[in-house]
Amino acid sequence: MVMDLDYDRSLYGVEHQAGPFEVTREMVQAFSKSIGETGPIYNDEAAAKAAGYSGVVAPPTMCTLFVRHVELPDIKLKFGRSRFHAGQRVQAKGIISAGDSLTASSHLKEVYPKTGRSGTMVFIVWETTFRNQNGQVVADVQESFAARE
Amino acid sequence: MYLDLHSHSVSSDDSRATVEQFLKWIQVLRKRGYTADGIVLTEHRKFDRDKDYSALAAQYGVVVLKGSELDTRYGHFLVYGVNEGLTADIDFADVRLDARELMKAARHHGAIALPAHPGRFGIGLVDYMELGEEFPDVRIVERLNGGSRAGENERAAELCEKQGYLGIGCSDAHLASHICACVTQFEAEIRNEADLVEALLTGEFRPVWLEDTRKADRE
Amino acid sequence: MAENTVYFEDVDLGDEIGPLERVARDQDVIDFCQLWGNPMPNRFTDQEKAEKTRLPGPILPGIMSMALMAQLLTDWASPESLKDLDLVFRQPVPHNKPLRISATVTDTRQEDGENLVTCDILMTGAEGERYVGGTALLSLPSRQAESG
Repeated sequence: MVMDLDYDRSLYGVEHQAGPFEVTREMVQAFSKSIGETGPIYNDEAAAKAAGYSGVVAPPTMCTLFVRHVELPDIKLKFGRSRFHAGQRVQAKGIISAGDSLTASSHLKEVYPKTGRSGTMVFIVWETTFRNQNGQVVADVQESFAARE
Repeated sequence: MYLDLHSHSVSSDDSRATVEQFLKWIQVLRKRGYTADGIVLTEHRKFDRDKDYSALAAQYGVVVLKGSELDTRYGHFLVYGVNEGLTADIDFADVRLDARELMKAARHHGAIALPAHPGRFGIGLVDYMELGEEFPDVRIVERLNGGSRAGENERAAELCEKQGYLGIGCSDAHLASHICACVTQFEAEIRNEADLVEALLTGEFRPVWLEDTRKADRE
Repeated sequence: MAENTVYFEDVDLGDEIGPLERVARDQDVIDFCQLWGNPMPNRFTDQEKAEKTRLPGPILPGIMSMALMAQLLTDWASPESLKDLDLVFRQPVPHNKPLRISATVTDTRQEDGENLVTCDILMTGAEGERYVGGTALLSLPSRQAESG
């Protein structure tokens, strides 16, 4: 028999909104510093503007910082004692720069079982779409978490 | 000929490589002097019966065969020669299959099932055998696995020596550039899944690293 | 940061990008967590908390590893070139250890007016440990478009 997963399937199709998240120059600079990014467009406003951007440029995966601020419900999965971050995907659709204001909309994408080094696991995948102040989609982010026995 | 007997395309949930990207990468390997004649797609917990890669195989001059990698209570098992009889008898999506039943069912239907990465810590056959489990139908195991961590291929090699098992070599590629990292060298010419099962049953094969397929080194 | 534009025509299958070599120090991770708004101490910053979650020690957050890996590509090309970065976290990434990030071009194609390059990308450790692996899709400018 295929593993029968017990979780709240009514969450499919439900969007969970959060934001706005203000992208500030200080935030972009701090993010760049923490990952050792010294490129001028990520750190210096004048350099970014000279290169044609409206402000310092957020490195493309910086929006992932905001995902944890979306209040996601417990899917009530009856499996596993611990969870870990198994995968992450960012599909960048547009530049995010200082001065932008982002909103997030997250939904449950899929839940599925498999076995790996840690034994049987169940993967939970959430997808979050970020839009800027103009309503333009700037990024889609998928986060996978694995519940293990 | 050299075949990679264990690979995952995007049809598996954890792979990021398309079949065409695998075949393109094999052209890169060939330009670098390596020999890679074919691959077997062993998608996780499924058999892609309806997927037809013959046009791509012809375009790139690579044998493309299909198998499966199934989850059992005793680790992962590679299955070759999958047919309708086997898929009717075994639920490929089950993550807790009985490995012994799987091996018997595979042989009954003219297929073959063998342990993948037996030396893998926590999930390999070696761990289960150390707990006293016995697997009398095992004859062949995946001795070289391109995705192994330090020590895991060595455990598989020790298992082969201790039990007298034959070994195959496989990349377990989930990324295009990992395809054929390890391959199996066959004496026979293999053109389809039935040829592959037959060749495995003859025992005339050996696992090799990609480096060992360099034309210059073999001549 | 790319000093010269990378054009689609200059990229071939099998080309290597990088490596980018980094060591994420304890303070880098603390700074990252602070910015992220993740209350500390946590398993990313604290030995005891890490051990409680069956980790040998504090690790890098997945999204921090991802940011480092993205940096290899955006520094090679440009921030707008990176269209898709899809990663699998295979092993915990430790603090204070050398991290090597490299990519390999596995496909080039022109599609819907875009010049697309697909890469495999890996973060490995000093002993070759494969911490994080995945693929990236980039869209590059074309010399032909510029000259046309």
